Amino acid sequence: MIRRPGLRARVTAGFAVGALGASTVVGVLSYQLTERFLLAEREASAVRAVAQDARIVAAGLDAEPPDALAALSSLDTGPNRRALIRRDGRWYSSKADTANTIEDIPVELVGLAEQGRPAIQRVRVAGTPAMVVAMPLSGDTYLYEVDFMRELDRSLKVLALVLTMVAAVTTGAGALLGSWAARRVLRPLTSIADAAREIAAGDHSTRLDPAAEPELERLTTSFNLMVDQLSRRMERDRRFAADVSHELRSPLQTLANAASVLARRRAHLDQRTATAAALLAEEVARFQVLVTDLIELSRSDRHADRAAVDVPALARRLCQARGLPPDLVGTAPATDAIWQVDRRRIEQILANLLDNAQRHGGGVVAVRLARRDGAYLIQVDDDGPGVSPDDREAIFDRFVRGRSGARGDGDGTGLGLALVAQHAEAHGGRAGVADRPGGGARFEVVLPRVPS
Amino acid sequence: MVAVLVIEDDDRIRLSLTLALEDEGYTVHAAATAEEGLLRQRREPADTVLVDLMLPGIDGFECIRELRRADDVPIVVVSARDDTHDIVAALEAGADDYVVKPVATKELTARLRALRRRARAAGAGPRATLIGELEIRPQAGEVLLRGQPLALTRTEFRLLCELAEHAGQVLSRQQLLERVWEYDFGDERLVDVHVGRLRHKLEDDPGAPARLVTVRGLGYKLQR
Repeated sequence: MIRRPGLRARVTAGFAVGALGASTVVGVLSYQLTERFLLAEREASAVRAVAQDARIVAAGLDAEPPDALAALSSLDTGPNRRALIRRDGRWYSSKADTANTIEDIPVELVGLAEQGRPAIQRVRVAGTPAMVVAMPLSGDTYLYEVDFMRELDRSLKVLALVLTMVAAVTTGAGALLGSWAARRVLRPLTSIADAAREIAAGDHSTRLDPAAEPELERLTTSFNLMVDQLSRRMERDRRFAADVSHELRSPLQTLANAASVLARRRAHLDQRTATAAALLAEEVARFQVLVTDLIELSRSDRHADRAAVDVPALARRLCQARGLPPDLVGTAPATDAIWQVDRRRIEQILANLLDNAQRHGGGVVAVRLARRDGAYLIQVDDDGPGVSPDDREAIFDRFVRGRSGARGDGDGTGLGLALVAQHAEAHGGRAGVADRPGGGARFEVVLPRVPS
Repeated sequence: MVAVLVIEDDDRIRLSLTLALEDEGYTVHAAATAEEGLLRQRREPADTVLVDLMLPGIDGFECIRELRRADDVPIVVVSARDDTHDIVAALEAGADDYVVKPVATKELTARLRALRRRARAAGAGPRATLIGELEIRPQAGEVLLRGQPLALTRTEFRLLCELAEHAGQVLSRQQLLERVWEYDFGDERLVDVHVGRLRHKLEDDPGAPARLVTVRGLGYKLQR
């Protein structure tokens, strides 16, 4: 798909085309007006000169015998004019190079003159623009004068060149003006974009000043209104989540305490009551994890709070806490021991991946910490049946149980991997799963590195 | 018998907590309000206090400050609130530790035992050490700054002893958590807030610490 050019480019092009059009019209009009005026002047002066010459030639021809050449040579024609006489169908000229000139005199003009009417026509004589004036004298005698317009032609060419250059400069200036105007017009939009970015980054106190750009008042007012409503809704959601979490946590505290009192007296209970008490205690424990995970998930909008964390040490401790040998944790060469990550989130990522491998993956085979392309990499390998390619995205959704599928198979909440994905995203990273070479699954979390 | 004062306004939590703690061998003084708890503590001091933050009348924060004014009894916050803001405010008011509800009885008693050990450890330890103008007498549980005794809580005292033992060396927040709070992997805000409180007591200008310094990215160090 071809990308549509930007607004600034379009405004710039529009201004340039407009300037080009205007300057072309003005240029063509001025050229034509000037040309017409100059030619009319020249015509008038040519006609005046011919009329004067006609009187001289007529006087010369009155002599006996009439001598056309003598009459012609008495004319002062200068370098730019040439006088000819046509008498009884023959041409007479005072200059030698007349043959070409005569050929270029149009037949129509000759025809008009022979009807007894003076005539004027513009032609090219030997490649030079010229004006031919025909003036009938007495009887079958006509005076023709060719007026070469070399200077006039040169002036008009210079004029055309100047006008073309003016058009080009005007077009360039139009483009510059368009670019400047577009930038000027877009500047208030840039401030709106900046404000939107600040809001996206979490600063909900950002507002625009409607008085700054009166023309954009509607936009800024509705922008501010939108931000107001958005932050009100977010505040309401945040308070609701806080209330829900408080309302869930308090009864759970009672349940946890009561369950532990029951568990302590299990030996004194009859078989059925003891089983019921054990079920209660297990479910309370699971419910506790579920609520904690749900509260954690509901805070999806929070950003990672990065600090220095000794991740290899953390991984070893978490393995130990699960009865796994700490030497399962391998650190690739040239991997920093201290990572800039969110301590709470990285702990949950590692703990949930280990729990997942233990519950659903037949146990942890290896934990690998490394650096790859400017990112931190965590890999947890398990010994289970692996994850089929169709399930590899869905497994990170909430309440999706992986490979074993069956519910009630232990104390997982179905939220562990969703939290892993969410914590990875909070760091600007991602979580995924692939096949482990040699069987089993390989869960992988990539977290972009930031300078400390 | 170790006595624990439980200040909790929710009747069911208070009752279940009492039952569970009594099962673990504690004597429980239960109070539904901060006022009641403070009165009880004056008449019949408990060895440790568990306090909720949201209480009718005097709230948890004020209650902690009030308890602190009297003595250095270990205080653990047990709250449903887990906002950083609330946690830090409670620790700054003088709490030694905090747990977020729901907390398993086992976890809670582990914290209480660690706190008790900390309280006892304050009485033992190496001989008196002199670090600059600071004199630490572990056996007497005393710290003197230019000869004047400083009023430190037991947690602050343990923290200072730990730093003094390794004076001139950097201790990471995790190391301090392990050694002072006995956490495997806990909340580093505990360390930061306690270091802050300690600075207020032993620095001339707590905003520009000269004795207990932060080593960026690594941890804290007590200057020799």
